[in-house]
Amino acid sequence: MTTTSLAKQKLSVINTHVVNIDGIAKVTGRATYTFDVKLPGMLYGKILRSPHPHAKILKIDASKALALHGVKAVVTGKDTLGIKQGIWRRYQELCDEQILPVDKVRYIGEPVAAVAAVTEEIAEMALDLIEVDYEVLPAVYEPMDAMKKEAPTIHEGVERNINVTRHIEWGDVEKGFENADYIREDSFFCGGQAHMCMETRAAVSSFTPEGKMTIYHSNQSAYYLQALMAGVLGMREGDIRVIAQYVGGGFGGKFELDGAIFCSAILTMKLFRPVKICYTREEDFIATKRRTPMHYWVRTGVSKTGKFLAREARVVSNGGAYTGMGATALYLTGFFHSFPYKWGGYRYDGYRVYTNTLPSTSMRGFGAPQAMFCSEQQLEWIAADLGLDPIEMRRQNGHTPGYEVPGQAYIDSCGLDEAFDIMAKWIKDKGKLPENRGIGFSAAGFMSGGIFNWFDTPYSFSSAVITINEDGTVILHIGATEIGQGSNTTMAIIAAETLGCKVEDIKVHSGDTDHCPADLGAWGSRQTLMTGNAVMRACEDAKHQLLEFALAKMGLNIVYDLDIKDRWVHIVARPERGMPWEELVKIATRGKDGQRIIGRGYYTPHRKGMISPAYSYMLQGVEIEIDKETGKITLIDSLTAHDCGQPINHLGLIGQLEGAFSMAAGYGYLEYMPYEDGKLMNPNLVDYKMIRATEMPETPVAEIDTYEPEGPYGAKEAGEGLTNPTAAAIGNAIFHALGIQMKECPIRPHMIVNALKEKAEKDKTAKKGK
Amino acid sequence: MIQDFTYLKPGTVKEALTLLTDHVDECKIVCGGQSLLIPMRQGLLVTEYLMDIKGLDELSYIKYDAKEGLKLGATTTHRAIEQSDVIKKHYPVLALMEERLASIQTRNWGTIGGNLAHADSAGDPAPVLMTLGAKVKLASAKGERIIPLDEFYTDLFESAMEHDEMIIEIQVPPPAAKMGAAYQKFNLLQNDMGVVGVAAMMTADANGTCKDARIVLGNAGVTPIRAKNAEQVLIGKKISDQLFVEAGEAAAGDADPVGDIHASEDFRRHLIKVLTKRMAKQAWEQASK
Repeated sequence: MTTTSLAKQKLSVINTHVVNIDGIAKVTGRATYTFDVKLPGMLYGKILRSPHPHAKILKIDASKALALHGVKAVVTGKDTLGIKQGIWRRYQELCDEQILPVDKVRYIGEPVAAVAAVTEEIAEMALDLIEVDYEVLPAVYEPMDAMKKEAPTIHEGVERNINVTRHIEWGDVEKGFENADYIREDSFFCGGQAHMCMETRAAVSSFTPEGKMTIYHSNQSAYYLQALMAGVLGMREGDIRVIAQYVGGGFGGKFELDGAIFCSAILTMKLFRPVKICYTREEDFIATKRRTPMHYWVRTGVSKTGKFLAREARVVSNGGAYTGMGATALYLTGFFHSFPYKWGGYRYDGYRVYTNTLPSTSMRGFGAPQAMFCSEQQLEWIAADLGLDPIEMRRQNGHTPGYEVPGQAYIDSCGLDEAFDIMAKWIKDKGKLPENRGIGFSAAGFMSGGIFNWFDTPYSFSSAVITINEDGTVILHIGATEIGQGSNTTMAIIAAETLGCKVEDIKVHSGDTDHCPADLGAWGSRQTLMTGNAVMRACEDAKHQLLEFALAKMGLNIVYDLDIKDRWVHIVARPERGMPWEELVKIATRGKDGQRIIGRGYYTPHRKGMISPAYSYMLQGVEIEIDKETGKITLIDSLTAHDCGQPINHLGLIGQLEGAFSMAAGYGYLEYMPYEDGKLMNPNLVDYKMIRATEMPETPVAEIDTYEPEGPYGAKEAGEGLTNPTAAAIGNAIFHALGIQMKECPIRPHMIVNALKEKAEKDKTAKKGK
Repeated sequence: MIQDFTYLKPGTVKEALTLLTDHVDECKIVCGGQSLLIPMRQGLLVTEYLMDIKGLDELSYIKYDAKEGLKLGATTTHRAIEQSDVIKKHYPVLALMEERLASIQTRNWGTIGGNLAHADSAGDPAPVLMTLGAKVKLASAKGERIIPLDEFYTDLFESAMEHDEMIIEIQVPPPAAKMGAAYQKFNLLQNDMGVVGVAAMMTADANGTCKDARIVLGNAGVTPIRAKNAEQVLIGKKISDQLFVEAGEAAAGDADPVGDIHASEDFRRHLIKVLTKRMAKQAWEQASK
């Protein structure tokens, strides 16, 4: 960390114009995704899925399928060890999912059998020939129904289908409400959302007679997949190599086991031939996982000047059939529901309930978009109820540097105050809006990686190995996963900055469990801070070794500081005195008796509370136009005031924020997952609506200059947190334009029309009353 | 997965009609495939023969004559119609409708004949062409016949075409004097299919009364629907904003929509009411200019 303050002053690579290092491979089509992997002798797999939301599997007869020419194997739950797995490995009771269930299916689309054949077409034909006898069981789809005494039992021994409960509390909630001048209660519902990665789930597994498995898989954490696969296959982690190649998006949906990886592995173990399984878009919709639908009840007490005295929130979430990462989402929604404010007293109780629907899990924002949709709208209404300025009301309660969320988190850097200034100016500059337009904003914050270690890994959270060749080129090995978010570029920038060379000197190898040190992967916005720290430390280690030789070679007094910038090794006080980078590397390599210079670094958070080492802050403003007669919303303009510490890569940051905005706005008014009797009604991209370029407004970003001491070069989270505020901002814009309160998302046109009708009737009665 | 089929690629219309007669009950015609390939991929549609007439250049034309009106060959692409100067001049509503039909990629490849023959009630061209009084020319090996588009649609994805027939031309009469026409669909994403769509055509006489009106509703029933009660509200009347409201209400009654995940039956009727009011007004403003 010795160079931190120096680097802050004189950055030569960080936040300059660096083009994504994968960019050329991607735009020229050379980037190979799992879909592109083709191995000699490879077979193609397809998965037979349950047509029932809840049923016992009585018998599976695959004889006709096996008789089809070209079919090589059919596997069912009976061909597996039957291990119930889950990503919360510390808690056995939450490991509840057999990817190929042995005796019972719990949602429509759940895998029942898998086929391997010489072509994908034959494999698909074979599915129709597999005969499954089911005993259909009563099913339940809504968490409120599933908690009833008479509801069917989805998992044996789980009372009232309650999968997980979470409680968070600090301060004196009762006293806060007693002292409150104003108390408001509201109920909300936030829907599910599909991750909708451009690349659907895909895996190619290859098992050899030596007992070694290699798996190409489109994922967010090669290490998690390796460890989870070892668990379900009864193998050692080290005998399984997972390679995340180029990955076409993750968004929180690709770090658990899926049918593609598991079924291809079981098939290849049976056949000793590689097996590839690629999901269709429909399979990706109906048989992966989704954002957690949540029922929210919120009670908030404030003083008449708008001081936040107490809040109480309860959540009942639709867990679907299995736990997945849903338990974490249940915790984080409760934690971020308090954000970004200081509450006198805060209490949260969350209940995650099993239903016979698609399991819910983590998705970009990890429970926080739901939390903010409810919190930030209710706060807006409270400000209106009390006649307070919504910005100033929030500001007086906002997090500040040095604040401790009692017993939960320590806030070091925080640019929230400046964000309020930026938003206030934007709104003021907009002046009087044309008819049917409204402006709304919402605040939010987010974590820079999770500290909770429910996965129970013995490895450090992130590690990096840097190797410097004698010509000055550099190889960086990280277990972190590049999923399109620009992680490899970010790490190359941090490495180039720390070593003092250029980005083009660095080759990044990531996401391969054999060749890279373990890293928990790309989820919870952890890689920039955690892997970034590991990379920085590895580079500091290597640089230190290099500079020993530089000091000796230059024959300097040891009190001189040496540094390297732009491939120039020099005395800090006399920058013109020095030598080229390549020359020093050669000298050092010779000096080490020909060993290459290797630096190692790792990061595991300590003394940072139980949630995250650092928090980003943001305000999202949106201007919308509403057609009052049809209820249609059009996004007109937006502004993001954003504190992510020191941005590492401006281009990458802007891309991430644009993506977060579109996903979040889609959650606010478009993306909708309707189920009928447990069946998803729109599992295709015609009927599932996502924002396209034509719907995107301009998304300017005002970066707030802060420095996060825990992050590499002062960096923290960027790109996920901005998924949190936007749905609420849209709701608030509707409130200001039309005076109606939208308590369900996505906010669909008929809801606006109906709310306006109700309001007109209410206004009429009120007038009559007078 | 698309089930195997035999691909037929005729070089002339004559050859196409012969092939169609040969395989009459087991042949589907594809002319762009922007609609047909979806149900084929979903396994909802299986065919023994697939005849691709997209390459029949003799059917790709846009002809206009002040007396005869407009003639569109069946294999004319949406994009060609959208960009045609003669259409922009004489039937601007057609060009505007095309501009909002799906993506540029789809418009570059999809054809007007294919679209109409697919008989999707949510299709954009049919309501607009119906308000303009269009006819379709059908051909079989036995001969040709011309029927009004009004009578073309019979049921969900079904038309009056016999199995040995195909559309070869669309004919639109010359625009009447003092005529206005407008079309809008309600959707959440620009250029998506309409949750509902409304096309309106109105003509004005010298006194400023409505001489004629045609209103057609898209995706408001199993076929595009002529909102005849709504038309009657307007025809022969001195036009006022109140009449547009009444026409909207009448159109909501003329509609026979089905609820789905995008909108309930009630909300569809509501949207039809609003769009009819707006489109009739727009058409009238053009007509009475």
